[in-house]
Amino acid sequence: MLDTARTSAPLVEMVGIHKRFGGIHAVEDVSIDLYPGEVVGVLGHNGAGKSCLMRILSGAMTATDGQIRVNGAEVTMATPQEAKIHGIETIYQTLALANHLDAAANLFLGRELKTRFGNLDDARMYAEAKDALRQLNPNFKNLKDPVAQLSGGQRQVIAIARAIYFQAKILIMDEPTAALGPSETAMVADLIRRLQADGIGIFLISHDMQDVFDLCDRVMVMNKGRDVGTFKIQDVNKDDILSLIIKGTLPDDWTPRSERN
Amino acid sequence: MSELPAKTRLRFLPSGSALHKFSAMMTLLLLIVAFSFTSPAFLTVNNGMTVLLQTAVIGLLAIGLTMVIITGGIDLSVGSVLALSGVIAGLVIKAGVPVLPAMALGVVTGAICGMVNGLVITKMRITPFVATLGMMMIARGLALQLTGAAPISRLGEAFGNLGNGSFFRIVEIQANGFPRVIFPGIPYPAVLLLVMALLGAFILTRRQIGRHIYSVGSNEEAARLSGVNVHRTKIWAYTASGALAGLAGMVLMSRLMTVQPNEGVMYELDAIAAAVIGGASLMGGVGSISGSMIGAFIIGVLRNGLNMAGTSAFIQQIIIGIVVIGAVYIDQIRNRN
Repeated sequence: MLDTARTSAPLVEMVGIHKRFGGIHAVEDVSIDLYPGEVVGVLGHNGAGKSCLMRILSGAMTATDGQIRVNGAEVTMATPQEAKIHGIETIYQTLALANHLDAAANLFLGRELKTRFGNLDDARMYAEAKDALRQLNPNFKNLKDPVAQLSGGQRQVIAIARAIYFQAKILIMDEPTAALGPSETAMVADLIRRLQADGIGIFLISHDMQDVFDLCDRVMVMNKGRDVGTFKIQDVNKDDILSLIIKGTLPDDWTPRSERN
Repeated sequence: MSELPAKTRLRFLPSGSALHKFSAMMTLLLLIVAFSFTSPAFLTVNNGMTVLLQTAVIGLLAIGLTMVIITGGIDLSVGSVLALSGVIAGLVIKAGVPVLPAMALGVVTGAICGMVNGLVITKMRITPFVATLGMMMIARGLALQLTGAAPISRLGEAFGNLGNGSFFRIVEIQANGFPRVIFPGIPYPAVLLLVMALLGAFILTRRQIGRHIYSVGSNEEAARLSGVNVHRTKIWAYTASGALAGLAGMVLMSRLMTVQPNEGVMYELDAIAAAVIGGASLMGGVGSISGSMIGAFIIGVLRNGLNMAGTSAFIQQIIIGIVVIGAVYIDQIRNRN
């Protein structure tokens, strides 16, 4: 079912991941891998476990059971810091911005630039943030305003800039376009293709079928915490995916689309 | 569309926190002007120095509380920790330890109490209100138990230096042999307050830990996901608050020349009021040392001025209570915008 003739090794492999909250199985025996330059869509209902799975990879949550391998080496992801050390950056659906701080402070939060004396180097952080933000949105102003006063699009740009500024190898994007207008959505799609060309692996959580079919190379569908199917995007159509999301199974007469004629 | 008028308005007015600080400063100046009229002795160098001295203790507590409040927490234990620190210092002086190391131990005692607060809040996941309420009772109980509720006095001249000494004091011996104070001097506690306030402001605005303190109060989950060590940041803030309470204890006990185990009751509330009047938000993420210092001096000047005008202590309580509610109301209006 999957392309076995890949030349490169996977960037990240999650093997047999379980996450239990008391008696509830949020994620049950899910395995997935991601190759350089690949976009893998993670789909499912709200509460299907997709965000939970991604939070485990980004270090925001620890798995009850299972392994994570980065470049073939087994790693632990106990904290977000550890994930960042392994080159895993996440754009959270909530954006994870500190509302009272300005754009530069948010971009460098947890990884502040410092002067020789260990003081915050606000001038350099401001200049770097300005560059990084202007690359994504040339009209970005109000860098010194608290981010609470910025528009949804600007806030999203800060969250994206924060993930790519630190040279991520693996990027997790949780609904990156949910708060955006059409032109900004197109900008994010362009960005995803550019990052893909640079060899970055991307996990994309999205509810927008159009985005998924435009951008993803593979999709994994989750239902009630289980992986109910991982497919190359050419092998499925929207109806197949909807059937997986809703029922957890493929239509009865399904065969891989790319082999049909 | 609703953002548009707010943005245009912001361009003409200073930002919310600057506006708040400005209005607090104006309030302070207004109070000084008003009290100058009600009492001729108010606007004198002597009384100015007295106000500085009296405000130093609340000011020191307010620096620590500002940091804690910015993280979105509260520290109700500072008044009791102040007393416990004094008691420890007093006891070891009685045991023969010199004043300076004894006072250092007092400050360390405060820091330990603060660190325990931080550990209880982060590791045991107990809300700051409950955790520090517990510490308030524990520290007070310890202070009373260790002393048998009796004050410790006769601690030696050196013990009184910190609280009663001053820089640039000029005294003239008159022809009749009596000394005349030309300039009362800048009290050590006031200088200590200035130094600690500058240090606190520097840490909050120029150091990583300060940035993290703001981020934790602003959005704790975002801070955690960004790689901020939230627990370490909170423990740091409570430890600083405890250490400053210890330092305030040294100043107060030194001024009284006596260690009083029941000193400092309700001081935490004055310090919280100072921070809130100065623009700190109990929701976290907002506040500044300079604002809290203005707040501390508003309370200090209010107390001093009302005393000089002969207002009863009960009426003072009422007025300060009204000021606190007024300040929080302004904070509410600011947040609604």
